[in-house]
Amino acid sequence: MGDIVDKLGISLPVLLTQVVTFIILLVILRFVAYKPIMRMLDERSKRVKESMEQAESIKEQSARAEEEVKKQLEEAGREGQERIARAVKAGEGVKQKAQAEAKQEAEALVDRARTEIQRERDEAIGEVRREFADLTIMAAGKVIDRSLDKEEHKELIEKVLEESKTDKKE
Amino acid sequence: MAERKRGCLGCSFPILIIIAIVTLAIVVIGFLAGPLGEKMIGDVGLPSWLNVPAPDPHLPAPVLFHVFGLPITNTIIAGWITVVFLVVISYVITRRMKIVPGRLQAAFEFLLGWVFDLCKSVAGEENGRRFFPVIVTIFLFVLFNAWLSLIPGFGSILFGHHELLRGANTDINTPLAIALVSFAFVEYYGLKTLGVKYLRKFVNVGVFFGSVGKVFKGKAKEGLSGLFSGFVDVFVGALETLSELIRIVSFTFRLFGNMTAGEILLLIAAFLVPWVLALPFYGLELLIGFVQAFIFSGLTLVFVTMAVTSHAAESH
Repeated sequence: MGDIVDKLGISLPVLLTQVVTFIILLVILRFVAYKPIMRMLDERSKRVKESMEQAESIKEQSARAEEEVKKQLEEAGREGQERIARAVKAGEGVKQKAQAEAKQEAEALVDRARTEIQRERDEAIGEVRREFADLTIMAAGKVIDRSLDKEEHKELIEKVLEESKTDKKE
Repeated sequence: MAERKRGCLGCSFPILIIIAIVTLAIVVIGFLAGPLGEKMIGDVGLPSWLNVPAPDPHLPAPVLFHVFGLPITNTIIAGWITVVFLVVISYVITRRMKIVPGRLQAAFEFLLGWVFDLCKSVAGEENGRRFFPVIVTIFLFVLFNAWLSLIPGFGSILFGHHELLRGANTDINTPLAIALVSFAFVEYYGLKTLGVKYLRKFVNVGVFFGSVGKVFKGKAKEGLSGLFSGFVDVFVGALETLSELIRIVSFTFRLFGNMTAGEILLLIAAFLVPWVLALPFYGLELLIGFVQAFIFSGLTLVFVTMAVTSHAAESH
C-alpha cells in the first residue's frame, strides 16, 4: 500500500497545500467574481424583466390610446355628420321660408297690382261715363240749338266723336 | 471579386502555396529528424538540436524547495499560477462592471452564467444558488489547470534539474484534494439539510432492531420477516457508504489519469515527430480539459443534489 502511495506520489503536505489552495481560490473568487457577477446577472435579469413589463404596459397604453382615438374619431365623424344633417335641414328650412316669403310677397304684389288695376279701370270707366255725359249734354245742346237734317245729324255726331277723340288725345 | 474567387482561406493562391510548402517541409524535416523517421529511413544527417528529448514521465511531482518545512512541488506552483490567473482576471473584469457588458465581461458572465444555469437546472433555484460557488470553483480550477498547462513553454522552464511548472492536474494530490473537497461539500450539505436523517442512509438499523425486539416479544412471524428486510436495509446502508467513499477514488483517478495521459501523449507525439504531430493533440487536450472540468463539477453537483434530497421525499 505504501509502495503504491509512493509510486503515485501521494504526499500529505502537498495534498493539504492543494486543499488549502483550492479553498483560498474559492474564498477569493467568491468575493471577487461570484458575488459581483451574480449581482450583475440578477440586476440584469431584473432590469430585463422590468423593461419587458414596461414595454408591455406601454403597448397596452398605446393600444388603449389608439382605441380612444378611434372612438373619438368615430364620435367626431358622427357629430360632423349630424351637424351637416342639421345644417342641411336648416338650409332647407331657410329655403322653404324664403320661398314662402317670396310667394307671399309675389301674391301681395299681384294683389296690389290687381287692386290698382281695378281702381284704375273704375276710374277710367268713371271718366268715360262723365265724358260721355258731357258729350251727350253737348250733343243735346247742339241738337237743341239747331234743327238738323239727317245728314247734318250724322255729321254732328261724327264731329263730336272726332272732337272727343282729339280731346282725349290731348 | 475575381481576385476573391481565386483565393482560399483568406489568402491568395501564391501565399497559400508557400504556406503549404513550408508546412510540408516542417513535417518532412520533423519526421526525418525524429526517432520515428530515423528508424524507418535511417539517419540522414540532420543536426541533433532538431530532436526533442525523449520524455521521461514520472508520476510523483518533484519537490523543488521547502517553505517552512512544506515541500513545494512544481504542480503546487502551477496551481498557484492558476489561482493568481483566475483571481486577477476576475478582479479586472468585476472591478468595473457595467450593466451593458464589454466583450471580456460578457464572456466571463457567459461562462459563469452557464454553470449557474446548470446548477439551477439540476438542483433547483434555491439550492442551485447555494451550491454554485463551490461547483464553479471546481470547474474553473480544473479547467484552467488543464488549459494553462497547454500554453507552449509551460513545461520547458527548468528549475535545477526539474521543470518549474507542471500541470497541477497531473499530480495525483490535486485531483485528490479537489475530490476530498467535493466529498466534504456533499456530506456537509447532506447533513446540514437533512440533519441526522441524512446518516440514516448509511446506517439504517431501525427496522432490524425493531424486528429483533418483536421476536423477543413473541411476535415471531412478523418479527422474522421484518428481520430480513432490516438486514437488507443494513446491507444497502453499507453499500451507500462504500459508494460514497469510492466516489473520491473515482473522481481522483478519472481526472488524474486523463490529464497525465494527455500530457504524456503530447510529449510522446512531440518526441516521435517533432513540431507538427503534437498539434492535433493540443486541440484534443483542450477538449479533454473542458470535458474533465465539466464532469468533475457536474458530478459533484449531482451528488450534492442527491444528498440534500431526502429518500422519503424521493420515493413519495
